[in-house]
Amino acid sequence: MNAVNPAPHRTRQQQQVDELCVAVIRSLSGEADVTTQAGRLRKGQKILPTHAAHLQTDHQRDDFRSFRGAADSIALGLQYTNPVIHQKYCPILPVERLIFELLEQLRVETMVPDTMPGMRKNLHHRFEAWSHDFYLAGLTESAAGILLYTVFQICWSRLTGQPVLEKTEGIIESTRAAIAPLLGIDLLGMRRHRDDQAAFALHARAISDIVGEMIRSDSEESDDAKKANGKEEQGKNALRLLLNFDNDETDVITVAASGRSKVLDDAAHGYAIFTTAYDTQVEASSLVRKELLKEYRDRIDQRIAALSINIPRLLRQLRALLAFPQRDNWSFGEEEGYIDGRRLAQLISSPSERRLFRQEQFKPNANCVVCFLIDCSGSMKAHSERLTVMIDVMVRALEQVGVASEVLGFTTGAWNGGRSHRDWLRVKSPASPGRLNELMHMVYKDADTPWRRARADITALLKADLYREGIDGEAVEWACSRIRQRNEERRILVVISDGSPMDSATNLANDDFYLGNHLKEVVGRQALPGQLEICGLGVGLDLSPYYKRSLAIDLQQPINNALLAEVAQLIGGRQRR
Amino acid sequence: MVSVRTLFGIDSDLKVPAFRERGAHVPDIDDAYRFNADVTLAILAGFAWNRRVMVQGLHGTGKSTHIEQVAARLNWPCIRVNLDGHISRLDLVGKDTIVLRDGKQITEFQEGIVPWALQRSMALIFDEYDAGRPDVMFVIQRILERDGKFTLLDQNRVIHAHPHFRLFATSNTIGLGNLNGLYHGTQALNHAQIDRWNIVASLNYLEPDEEVAIVQARVPAYADEKGTRLVAAMVAVADLTRKGFAVGDLSCLMSPRTVITWAENCQIFSDTALAFRLSFLNKCEEAERAIVAEYFQRCFDDELIESHLHQIKNTM
Repeated sequence: MNAVNPAPHRTRQQQQVDELCVAVIRSLSGEADVTTQAGRLRKGQKILPTHAAHLQTDHQRDDFRSFRGAADSIALGLQYTNPVIHQKYCPILPVERLIFELLEQLRVETMVPDTMPGMRKNLHHRFEAWSHDFYLAGLTESAAGILLYTVFQICWSRLTGQPVLEKTEGIIESTRAAIAPLLGIDLLGMRRHRDDQAAFALHARAISDIVGEMIRSDSEESDDAKKANGKEEQGKNALRLLLNFDNDETDVITVAASGRSKVLDDAAHGYAIFTTAYDTQVEASSLVRKELLKEYRDRIDQRIAALSINIPRLLRQLRALLAFPQRDNWSFGEEEGYIDGRRLAQLISSPSERRLFRQEQFKPNANCVVCFLIDCSGSMKAHSERLTVMIDVMVRALEQVGVASEVLGFTTGAWNGGRSHRDWLRVKSPASPGRLNELMHMVYKDADTPWRRARADITALLKADLYREGIDGEAVEWACSRIRQRNEERRILVVISDGSPMDSATNLANDDFYLGNHLKEVVGRQALPGQLEICGLGVGLDLSPYYKRSLAIDLQQPINNALLAEVAQLIGGRQRR
Repeated sequence: MVSVRTLFGIDSDLKVPAFRERGAHVPDIDDAYRFNADVTLAILAGFAWNRRVMVQGLHGTGKSTHIEQVAARLNWPCIRVNLDGHISRLDLVGKDTIVLRDGKQITEFQEGIVPWALQRSMALIFDEYDAGRPDVMFVIQRILERDGKFTLLDQNRVIHAHPHFRLFATSNTIGLGNLNGLYHGTQALNHAQIDRWNIVASLNYLEPDEEVAIVQARVPAYADEKGTRLVAAMVAVADLTRKGFAVGDLSCLMSPRTVITWAENCQIFSDTALAFRLSFLNKCEEAERAIVAEYFQRCFDDELIESHLHQIKNTM
């Protein structure tokens, strides 16, 4: 292995910045369900709209203080902007909307409490940095750009009571003189009604309408005259980017495809298997060379070390979710309870001593086993490293809480059916043969092996050529039968997958949703209340058609605390407190 | 009878009974103490109309002190019993002990704190009520009822409560046990117990102004204008840690007591950041310090060395 390359280091910092900012937003606004995923803010499941232009931050370009400023501003927006009122007054036309959104955000930015001078400075820094970028990007080159820029500067200056940006004061001078009389009354009104969102919105709306109208008439007039000017065009294009609002609201995780399978519905004996002759169950580590495993392990250790994960918090959370007080040992020397025979002699020698009893002691104890069943189909190969990191951290954390854990995987022995498929061809391809591939079930770590001894074996997950196709239903059945044999009271199976069951040979010989429907049927049958809990962890895919309890995660970005916390919640099956 | 308005500065025409003499058990008056109007009224109701009052709130909010200070101003004798896990039933009720009388050893029943207080004009405060062991709680259950008589089983005696006996309790949780992992050793209370408390007052989040006033009263050096600004910023940091705790980002929070400690330490070290580190930050988990540093930056416009900004400078 060569030294750690700089790229992940950089993303780790970005991730830390994101986490810090979102934590501050949560505490400032008191909204517990604000999270960040892939650099996007979410409130609950929905994306948190940050339409004001200066809130768009970029890790490549902006410094940490800008992120702070944007976070503070968003937190203030959460506190002081009523989305219903905002929606009511918000204009539809893009230019007007750009101005209106920004003005509303500037309004809430004036609500900084007096006790937070640092916050005021962050906000100031962010607006200044953004204005500077606006200017440097050449946006002020076009007539519309300079007009917008001037309006923003004047409004900001009016609302905050700060002078306009010194560097660009000269550029906006003439525009400012031209539009100031037009906006004067509304500027005053905005300043006066800072505390009243609805009254403020009327003035903000008036300003955005005036400016929007000006820009439109201006561009109509001069369209032909200035077409030749390249710089102008460039500025306009950049401006168009600013006006791009709604693209972020369509970001929804896809739901796993599912439908009815006619073949399975019509089959007399349900799910069929052509042959089990080639099915295997192996220790995954036996498929990888010892030296390679060691190398894998080193790599994973380095990745985990670079992540700065808050293990104590994860432990606390898992303990709260999985452990319950249980009788554990006795507490001796009590003043009442059951008589402790060994202390009777003491009663005779010193009768005033009354601590001769013992009592039952209750301690939090996790009587629980968690089994991770990983879909080792080809498409999962891309996620193998982050997945291994996540599994490794979870296994270790669970072990510290006293929960036994198993790591299993499933794939097929060959592509496109292998020997099983060839046998089927040999007997002249009877119709509806059922499953037509060699199953390969792999054990990475069984529940009785502690992490310390399995630490190298788990990393066999990195071995890319083991990833082939996936037959989920039978794998779930197999995993269930394994954990059913455990004595633990609570048994949880976590199926990690990035797609619906997929085996090309089986799908061709039967129909499209044959395996998917079998999986549904297995999950429904196995997850009876009080016996087994099955949950689905979808990698970039919503697995809710298959599993009632499911969570979609994004493994494109590094593992972080929030993600692990969500996975812990999924395993524990309870909502965030 | 004394007027609440003159004694506590609360806008109310209420008159409450008070004793003329200050007995040995009456707590000392702390002139710097700031009363919270709602909680004070709740406690006064306890004293005046013999209600059972439980004051509930996070640690360091001054729950017990609050009751004590009300008692001090009413000249009402008052004792505090800490209901930690080691207080046993026998401690409360009483037990046979061997005593020397006329040179001979004889066994004699010695009353526990409950029968003793019950027969006097005394305000009994159970601190850490939710940390008490379940068996102990049932001893208290009987005296919780206003006319409850207390039976000493091994003495065949029934004790009637003195008409000026009062009972109070303070707890960190409302009998729900240790839900968020902050209060280890607390128990979930029997609902029959909770039901018998007539008034539950909550002393959780003080208004920032009030908290500033409390800190200034404790640390008089910060009573001037500059000090007010400093203390207000401290209280703002404390408030953020509380919110951070509530949303699950932090595992510890700053109590008013910590703010006072911080203010005191500021005087010792004459360095706000250093005092902050020593009084609170070092109690936080390593991974959470960067978040607290962000809070600090917001309120003080200053960077702690734990801040992310410093971290990136060091790695670059």
